[in-house]
Amino acid sequence: MSLMRSAFALALGLLLLGGCGSQSPPEEGAIFPYRWESHELPNGLGVVLVDSGYPNLVGLYEVVHVGSRNEVEPGKTGFAHLFEHMMFRGTEKYPPEKWEEVMQAAGAETNAYTSDDRTVYHALFAAEDLEKILEMEADRFQNLHYTEEIFRTETRAVLGEYNKNFANPFRKLDEALRQTSFDEHTYRHTTMGFEADVEAMPEQYEYGLQFFDRYYRPEYTTIAVVGDFDFAQAQKWIEQYWGPWKRGDYEAKIPGEPVQQGPRSVRVDFHAPTLPLVEISFKAPAYDDEIVDSAALDLISFYAFGESSELYKKLVIEQQIVDLLAPDYPDHVDPYPFGVIARVKKAEDVEKVQNEILATFEDLKQNPIPADKLEAVKSHLRYSFALGMDSTGAIADTLAHYLGLRSTPETINKRYRLYSSVTAEAIQTTAKKYFIETGRTITRLEYQAEGEAGQ
Amino acid sequence: MKIATLATLAALAAATASAQTVQTLALPGDSPLVSFRILFNTGAASDPAGKEGAAALTAAMLSRGGSAEKTYDQIIEAMFPMATSVGAQVDKEMTVFTGETHRDNLDAYYAILRGMLLEPGWRPEDFQRLKDEQLNGLRLELRSSNEEELGKELLQTEIYGPKHPYGHPDIGTGSGIESLTLDDVKAFYAANYRRGNVTVALAGGYPQEFLDKVAADFAVLPEGAPSAVEIPAPARVKKLNVRIVQKETRSTLISLGFPIDVNRAKPDWPALKVAQSYFGQHRSSKGRLFQRIRAIRGMNYGDYAYIEYFPHGMFQFQPDPNLGRQRQIFEMWIRPVTPENGLFALKLALFELHGLVEQGLSEEDFDSTKLFLSKFVNLLTQTQTLELGYALDSKYYGLPPFNGWFKEKLAGLTTEQVNEAIRKHLRSTDLNVVVITADAQGFAKALRSGAAAKPVYASPPPADVLEEDKAVAAYKLELGSVEIVPADKVFE
Repeated sequence: MSLMRSAFALALGLLLLGGCGSQSPPEEGAIFPYRWESHELPNGLGVVLVDSGYPNLVGLYEVVHVGSRNEVEPGKTGFAHLFEHMMFRGTEKYPPEKWEEVMQAAGAETNAYTSDDRTVYHALFAAEDLEKILEMEADRFQNLHYTEEIFRTETRAVLGEYNKNFANPFRKLDEALRQTSFDEHTYRHTTMGFEADVEAMPEQYEYGLQFFDRYYRPEYTTIAVVGDFDFAQAQKWIEQYWGPWKRGDYEAKIPGEPVQQGPRSVRVDFHAPTLPLVEISFKAPAYDDEIVDSAALDLISFYAFGESSELYKKLVIEQQIVDLLAPDYPDHVDPYPFGVIARVKKAEDVEKVQNEILATFEDLKQNPIPADKLEAVKSHLRYSFALGMDSTGAIADTLAHYLGLRSTPETINKRYRLYSSVTAEAIQTTAKKYFIETGRTITRLEYQAEGEAGQ
Repeated sequence: MKIATLATLAALAAATASAQTVQTLALPGDSPLVSFRILFNTGAASDPAGKEGAAALTAAMLSRGGSAEKTYDQIIEAMFPMATSVGAQVDKEMTVFTGETHRDNLDAYYAILRGMLLEPGWRPEDFQRLKDEQLNGLRLELRSSNEEELGKELLQTEIYGPKHPYGHPDIGTGSGIESLTLDDVKAFYAANYRRGNVTVALAGGYPQEFLDKVAADFAVLPEGAPSAVEIPAPARVKKLNVRIVQKETRSTLISLGFPIDVNRAKPDWPALKVAQSYFGQHRSSKGRLFQRIRAIRGMNYGDYAYIEYFPHGMFQFQPDPNLGRQRQIFEMWIRPVTPENGLFALKLALFELHGLVEQGLSEEDFDSTKLFLSKFVNLLTQTQTLELGYALDSKYYGLPPFNGWFKEKLAGLTTEQVNEAIRKHLRSTDLNVVVITADAQGFAKALRSGAAAKPVYASPPPADVLEEDKAVAAYKLELGSVEIVPADKVFE
């Protein structure tokens, strides 16, 4: 039900926000049907302007290409997210109260989120207030200023956030999957970070300054203005307020992940009553808008593991031994596993469910997808995209997801052309390439009352 | 003569019945999308005693079970290429089915939707699946994995009490759901899904004749409407009534509130809405509570206030429409704090509420909140389906279209009216508190001891805040009942 779905969405971060490619283009023309422009300022700042066709409102989305992926140093996990919080601590010109006042006067809904690959600050407000907010936001990105006391106080809000998520078993499953599946790459930790690192955050004031200095730079940032406004005027304001921002020179060295050499598995206990969870995953490629593999895997995720799949019908509707079955393959900048999650009603059925999922992966390698099923998935993606773009906010949310991957709306059109081009043969080839035992990780989670030993 | 009269009366009755047309609400437009909201004025307040959860399971059988013509998996398969589905939301007095399709697929989608709502399949296997899901939704999702929602839902039932029609969660109770049979659900449908309590609402690019056709189709529902459920005002509790839920958790969660005699239809609603927005605008850093508890003191992730029911607040920024109720509560949501700050956070929340009641809003706060709301209101109806939902709610409350109405009311408000509404409807005593924490006994003991509560900080806040902390720590709690309940007994 809605609660269940929401809890699941929360656990998977941005998967449902536009994650695993929920979309594809009409045969004629581009899937992203809005008038848009993109520019790069001399300082490296990416600028994207989109006319949403909806009146009155404007969304300003600032996409910083920094996420938990950039947390390469030991003991500093969770920092990109902490920094998202710090960005609300103001500047000399606009201390937090003043910032609030301006946003309030614009009737704005404001917030921010951090994922593996990006940190996004967003505001949706009355179109007439665009200049003021562009000016104030430019100041925030260039002149953020806070004391050590404020920094320490904010780290406790982050700990509060960590604690509020603690009750969600999908979070724990995600943590276990990452730690088991990855050896070197920073996707090994979640965006919240390791608990010990979150606890130690109050002592990291100096590192916080360094983090801002490295990453909050124009070459790491793309800003998008979406809605009801004049492009030329907005571009002028952006040049005026964001142009003086100084380019940096830091380059993060994200460790590559060595090829996995054999199957892995892990079992974790959960502290509160929950149904058992199992996730079967395989090492898979990064998001791409030119090479077909990741797009083909998206199609597989719907065809073989979505609500309309044979497996769903068998396990959820007919046998009723599973109450939730869902693919888990969010778009990422670097290679990320392709997973399937099942929540099993009875512990004794976990093995059986696991075997059914594994058999489905095998079947994808042996048998081509029927033509009508392939067409149904493509149609689903196309209509799903159209149905999702129902407001300025929704368009901007989807756009921000893709800007985090490629910095231009054109990647959406390219990605959807790829979806259209996927053949049954490509799907089978992709399945054979990635669904191999040596790249597999099986993650299981079960309730274990305190004091009982895990098995 | 007598017979003739009876015949005449019978004929008249028949004419009335066939003349009872289905109510419609139309927002035609040129969007390629068509939004449906099929609203029934019924819900969990109509659950029969001992069958709590009947309304929710009935709606689930319609929206996520098969129709007479198609099994559920056939429905999924047919919907998949269109990327459509049917959603259901059940609250106390409203049950709404929602759907959206591209107009390319309007007829195909509607044919399925109509079958689901008007000719349900009532298959035992669907019933078993959905009943399991509902039980797990209550016991494992709500109670075990979502402490914040649990606290908020428990506050509602604490305020109304078990015998009140609002006295159980919309999803039902453990024993209520367990006792439900397929016949119970069919009976609920027969009694509560009627021609007289349905409104068919459509928005977007549909042809005019389509709306007429839908209205005619829904006229197959039996005439009449279910008898109205009386929703009495809950009794005013004395002092602070604290329910502590003992649960394996690493933090302490607090919800508190009391019933208010104000819903959207009442004259004081716009004024109270301004007060609520100022005090605790949902998921916004601008609210007073957020500023004092999170921003300045870093005690938790956020702190908000409400005058209308707002479920699933941790997952969304805006409320869903079609949660219309005759009665509402004033609620404060204090997000998880570390256990050592639990008692202090409760005192701080009440201290702030006391301050609001005593001092109200300044002219400046009033002006800025009014300006904010007058623009923010456009965000509430950003999409076609939200606009349709708000239109249905305005109809329920007997109001003009929401945005225009609210802006007009805002324009006419004064600071004094807002502060008058605060004094009249809000209070900082005689209320219910729900606390979820691992050391329930310890919390109860600290509460009863009347000891001052000392906050623990990562970094001391400014001197004026530390000074205020002394007053907060000394803030006296007038205790009524303090009771502990283990988490697995909640909503059974």
